Amino acid sequence: MENTALTKGSSQRSQMCIQVEDLWKIFGENVERCFSPEMRASSKATILEKTGCVVAIKEISFEVQKGEFFVIMGLSGSGKSTLIRCILRLIKTTAGRILINGDDICSYNDQQLTHLRRNTTAMVFQQFGLFPHRNVLDNVAYGLKVQGVAEEERYIKAREVIDKVGLKGWENYLPSTLSGGMQQRVGIARALAIEPEILLLDEPFSGLDPLIRRQMQDELIGLQEEVQKTILFVTHDLDEALKLGSRIAIMRDGEIIQVGTPEEVITTPGNAYVREFVQDASPAKVVTAKNIMEQPKVLLYEWQGPKAAMHTFRTTMTNSIFLVSHTGILLGLITLERLVKLIRNRGNSLKEALEPDLPTCTADTVIEELFPLAVSTMHPIPVVDEAGRFMGEIYNSSIMISMIQEKETGETEESDKEESHV
Amino acid sequence: MFEFPQFLTIPLAEWVDAGMSWILTNLGTIFDAIGTSILALLLTIERIFLWIPWIVTILAVGIIAWRALRQWWAGVLFAAMLVLIGSFGYWDLAMMTLAIIFASVIISLLIGIPTGILMARSNIFQSILKPLLDAMQTMPSFVYLIPALMLFGLGKVPAVFATIIYAIPPVIRLTNIGIRQVPKSVIEAAQAFGSTPKQILYEVQIPLAIPSIMVGINQTTMMALAMVVIASMIGAKGLGMQVLLAINRIEIGKGFEAGICIVFLAIIIDRITHAMAARKEYSMSN
Repeated sequence: MENTALTKGSSQRSQMCIQVEDLWKIFGENVERCFSPEMRASSKATILEKTGCVVAIKEISFEVQKGEFFVIMGLSGSGKSTLIRCILRLIKTTAGRILINGDDICSYNDQQLTHLRRNTTAMVFQQFGLFPHRNVLDNVAYGLKVQGVAEEERYIKAREVIDKVGLKGWENYLPSTLSGGMQQRVGIARALAIEPEILLLDEPFSGLDPLIRRQMQDELIGLQEEVQKTILFVTHDLDEALKLGSRIAIMRDGEIIQVGTPEEVITTPGNAYVREFVQDASPAKVVTAKNIMEQPKVLLYEWQGPKAAMHTFRTTMTNSIFLVSHTGILLGLITLERLVKLIRNRGNSLKEALEPDLPTCTADTVIEELFPLAVSTMHPIPVVDEAGRFMGEIYNSSIMISMIQEKETGETEESDKEESHV
Repeated sequence: MFEFPQFLTIPLAEWVDAGMSWILTNLGTIFDAIGTSILALLLTIERIFLWIPWIVTILAVGIIAWRALRQWWAGVLFAAMLVLIGSFGYWDLAMMTLAIIFASVIISLLIGIPTGILMARSNIFQSILKPLLDAMQTMPSFVYLIPALMLFGLGKVPAVFATIIYAIPPVIRLTNIGIRQVPKSVIEAAQAFGSTPKQILYEVQIPLAIPSIMVGINQTTMMALAMVVIASMIGAKGLGMQVLLAINRIEIGKGFEAGICIVFLAIIIDRITHAMAARKEYSMSN
């Protein structure tokens, strides 16, 4: 049993980009005292009381795969910013290992560390951390400058990235003349300019107003699709975490209390803290079409004639069926009404009886985005993959039911809590 | 009972004297070398200032003031002040005074800025240097004349030496403050991109400290001007000497003329360096 787990681990290792193993950061003197078994079991507050040491992060272990968008979420003081700084060793760790591409960076000397920071990683900061005396172009080119890239070459690269983040024309302005959102674009461009393998973002959008924040989140998703970096993203905003992360780690008091996909975190919270945290989050934002789609009882195929189709309608007692090609591509929806009209007009191709303006969605579409589609049609919504192949259908009633179920569980938990208070 | 006990006499004065004579006998050659290099620098500057035709100097000051203050009347006003100095017959003396100020400020900056940088990088060094700088600034400036006189004799070199000691603290202090005031987030960002400590210093800290350093340069220059007048007591020829002579001979008019020339120089130097410092600050915050 253990053996299989080990081999599985090692086979996955090649895919791993960042591995953190039992990482600790403690501020104070004689920190060794904090590692006794008794202290390990105690909380941050108890350790502070007994030893006078402040535990910033405690027993943290997690792994991030190549190309993954990993979000660390926690409220202020949960240690999330300390953690992300430890990964670049901007803060020295107390104990534990951090492996980047299998290399323990805690054992790095200054030279190796400089090399890592220059070539492998790049960071975006909450306070932007832009150089106020340099214009946008020089800010973006900074990472290349410390690498020793010649001026001409680094300006070419920098202009390219500035273009990508939508700041063309602002190259010669100083950061202080830019709005917050634009400054953070500079921050992101500066990080992308060195083409890092790993992008670390420390609450990059927290200082921005909500409208800009949403826009920047969407742009980051777009950028990630384009550049495919491994991303470690720190935030205190649950909605942001759910929207961006392919996996989320929830931190509290310096410890990770749950790691999972956004859906797992919402639907099966690991403990009371997470449950309380996510209870306001709408499942409509995380539950996706593939969770509620159903396999249709019956399908029509493009080679079938109208008469055969009518037979199918009669035997299944429905009034709409999806039409697919022989490769499984969705062609459209046939309603009984239109089929009757087709037969009356002596038409012989089912394609002539297709319902116009058929809305479709993909397996990753969240329920929230299905609402407008559901309102626009009386018929089920088909789910298709990237190639347009039919995967399943969603009934309006399933959308409703998925929402009601989530609500119910939320309410019972709430009433439980009230009882326990009494 | 009310008298301070006799046996508690600490002969600090004697110790200082002993120390000075030890320095004189043992380190004399070093101070001779320092003295000759200061003199060489000073004479070069003085020669240049005296060589430049007066009309060129006046025009140059006018244009620099106009460019720095961005106001044409400032240029005209400062040029007029220089014309007045010349019309009092003090042109050469004013240039000599200016040469001493320039030499002192150049040496002060050469020593002061690196010292300020070191001070910003080491808390221990800062805690040692801070009281020393405080003492240097609160000590009556006449006190510096004595060791300067003993080390370098009469003349211009001890004047420059005393002026440096008196004028150097502001530039050290403000370099230190300027570097320490660089936001942590900016330094952190520089680190995160793999900058070496040297790169952080030259690419980030010093450029961001420049407005503060410029203020330090302005203050150092003004203090040098103040000290130059006092330094004329140990034989530095210049405007200060005229004031001194006027006091001795009770020539109120002459004293006033020389005094007003010093005020003119002060205004010109202060306004121009101040405007340069302010411009640096402005360009960074906007």
